Amino acid sequence: MQETTFLILTALADSSQHGYAIMTAVREISQGRVRLRAGTLYAALDRLSAEGLVTVDREEIVDSRLRRYYKLTPAGVKQLAAEAARLHANAIAALSRLNLAEGTTT
Amino acid sequence: MTDSADLERRYSRLLAWYPTAFRREHQAEMLGVLLESARDGQRRVGLADMADIIRGGLTLRLRVPPQAPRAVAVAVRLMYAGAAALLATWASTVVTETNVRSAMLRAVPAQWHLMFAHIICVEALLPVITAGWLWLAWAIGHGRHAARVVLVLYFGLITLVLLWMLSAGAAVYAPADLISLAAAWLVQISAIVFVFSNRSERYYRRTGAGGHAQSAASSC
Repeated sequence: MQETTFLILTALADSSQHGYAIMTAVREISQGRVRLRAGTLYAALDRLSAEGLVTVDREEIVDSRLRRYYKLTPAGVKQLAAEAARLHANAIAALSRLNLAEGTTT
Repeated sequence: MTDSADLERRYSRLLAWYPTAFRREHQAEMLGVLLESARDGQRRVGLADMADIIRGGLTLRLRVPPQAPRAVAVAVRLMYAGAAALLATWASTVVTETNVRSAMLRAVPAQWHLMFAHIICVEALLPVITAGWLWLAWAIGHGRHAARVVLVLYFGLITLVLLWMLSAGAAVYAPADLISLAAAWLVQISAIVFVFSNRSERYYRRTGAGGHAQSAASSC
């Protein structure tokens, strides 16, 4: 899974969000490292909907503009959990090996 | 207010890069997001934003639908690679034109213009052929049955162009053009293998003959 995809799914993990909120959430989650733009976001959302990982939750009109809220589908939750577990395991492995390496050299 | 209207107009013009179906569903929403992320008083679309919007539109247009079998997805990617090779061929004909011309002039002063006309003809045709090929890749990816028939005809056309180049002495005078075209030809024949493989078969039967054939007429 690409990092952008992972971050978008993470942004939707606890509640449904509209496009602009996803962009700010992604920036926050990545600690300012990933700045998602609208073109990338909507291409990703379109793909994720087609893959059945994300779906439209509801629509609102704010300042006479359409706001569409997206949420994870059960398949999306499952996939994000699996990816998070994989990254977590990798990170744990990396950290423990780094410690090990430090331990042997010092 | 007028600033924002200006910006909105510019953004909606850029959204023309997106497929119509997508625009129908998401244009208003996406405009809202774009305007919300704009700075106060911003009137022009930033370069990075513009590139991102265009890239998003192209991604959506070129994407293979997720329900397409793997073999079809591979075929479409090969066809895009083939289109890139065709474009490279075109670039090569343009760049090497003067060299090819003088090489022919030196070797066959009597007939050089006839041979060179072949190359110029190919040079003029290639952008059209590439555009048609890209359209075909899209139709193949979307399961249009008719596109498979057109694909074979089109492949025949490219084979003819290749033979034509050979007959114009391209092997001797324009080797770069010929090698690049031959590469495109090879990529395309492998795409055809994937399109007609057993695994792709069901995809085209399911969608039926919803496509419209486009004749690939060519004359020079």
